[in-house]
Amino acid sequence: MARDHLMSQFLQATLYGLLQGGVFALVAVGFSLVWGVMNVVNLAHGAFVVAGAYLAFELHSWTGIDPFLSVPVVAVALFALGYLVQRYLVNLVINAPVFITLLLTFGLELVIVNGMIMLFTANYRSIPTGYATTSLALPGDVRLPLGRLIAALLAVGLTLALGYLMRHTRIGLAILATGMDRGAARLMGIKAAHVYALTFGLAVALAGIAGAAVGTIGTFSPADAGRFTLFSFVAAVLGGLGTMSGALYGGLLLGLAEAWGGQLLPGTLVNAVAFAVLVVVLAVRPQGLAGRSFYAARVEV
Amino acid sequence: MSFALEGISAGYGRVLVLHDVTVTVAPGEIVALVGPNGAGKSTLLRVASGMVRASRGSVRVDDRNLDRASIEQIARAGVAHVPEGRRLFPGLTVRDNLRLGGWQNRNRDLEPVLALFPRLADRLRQAAGSLSGGEQQMCAIARALMSQPRFLLIDELSLGLAPVLVDEIMARLVAIAATGTGILLVEQDAGAALELAARGYVLENGVVVLEGPAAQLAGDARVREAYLGI
Repeated sequence: MARDHLMSQFLQATLYGLLQGGVFALVAVGFSLVWGVMNVVNLAHGAFVVAGAYLAFELHSWTGIDPFLSVPVVAVALFALGYLVQRYLVNLVINAPVFITLLLTFGLELVIVNGMIMLFTANYRSIPTGYATTSLALPGDVRLPLGRLIAALLAVGLTLALGYLMRHTRIGLAILATGMDRGAARLMGIKAAHVYALTFGLAVALAGIAGAAVGTIGTFSPADAGRFTLFSFVAAVLGGLGTMSGALYGGLLLGLAEAWGGQLLPGTLVNAVAFAVLVVVLAVRPQGLAGRSFYAARVEV
Repeated sequence: MSFALEGISAGYGRVLVLHDVTVTVAPGEIVALVGPNGAGKSTLLRVASGMVRASRGSVRVDDRNLDRASIEQIARAGVAHVPEGRRLFPGLTVRDNLRLGGWQNRNRDLEPVLALFPRLADRLRQAAGSLSGGEQQMCAIARALMSQPRFLLIDELSLGLAPVLVDEIMARLVAIAATGTGILLVEQDAGAALELAARGYVLENGVVVLEGPAAQLAGDARVREAYLGI
């Protein structure tokens, strides 16, 4: 029956959208964290996502390790990279106007992307897993792909864990405090430069893990870096800057918008969905869904 | 064994705000720094905590030189600064604000500061930004005390507070000093500050124009005319 078919198509698209949205949340959460805490719009964020995908790909092709099991290695490697990049590069211009940090991270993105093209070529790749094509049959003729389910659960789990750690650990509290008022945090004896570097390292580690997840459920190439930065930007603004839950809502909504858009729009227009969502949000509710109030009281020394 | 600002000249950019200012605080002593708006009182505290770098002079704690120390190093040396405007973390709870005060020394024991400011005990789960002005000032002082500082610098304690609250908080300062903590109190309300303090300094246009025992300053004809409105 045509109506049943439409219904199951809609459900299938919704399920795909939610799974994809969960991964978007993890892609975006680090971007949102860095923006909220350091007031840096990191245009190289998407490049770190792709770098994580390549690292998981290489680990898989050298050792055969499952990309989800290589997540700790990817996380540690990208954390170290992010820490060093912030401490010795971004930190140089941390007090400069936002335009300067935009320029710096834009340049950084070019360097990383072109470095990856030299190392890995511009060809599209995908990390093969034994269960990539396995899927569970759900009622209503809807299929639940196992690989996407694992990726989404990992992504949502990490996003929620980050939110919890921010509120309930010593270092999380220091990050929040430094984000709200760096000068006051330093008066508490908190080493702001170190906290910034930790924050950036954490964000890059999460981006790298998101990249490993992305690499198992689809294809990637260095050229995707800009797309991931755009997704991060949209999800972060959509959900409200700097809040972990905001990145989650924003990511899920973006995933749904893309999946539904894919059902209704011709293929080439799907890429415009993220932009369209961004424009609508900025016009209707510029403070995002979860609001920005949490970080509104920003003070600089 | 004291906290000393010696021969401080400092300012913003090329504009010097302070000229050769020397202020000392002994352990357990309350020292008042009074003077009109724009005299450089807050700038001196900012130099003391490293937020503004002095162009000349030195900052010392117990003969340890902190001229080149960062804000966080000075904080870790036992000097806690309650800054102008209090600078609480507004989105965080009172409890989290207090914990952040004890961040550097991993002090999570809230009991001593709650004993000093019992009102805060009922507000622990409330966002610091939602407190009344007086409670915010209490929270800011309590947060500074969480680091168990040897010296406490307080900027404009009375600003925007009801007189009855100012009295209540100032009475707490006596109890804090009695534990051996030296207090440098910057105040526009010269009368209240000089009543509380053992010694005082009068700062005008970035220069110390008078200093001495607080009672003597409060009795000085110029101080009475200019700051006490008598």
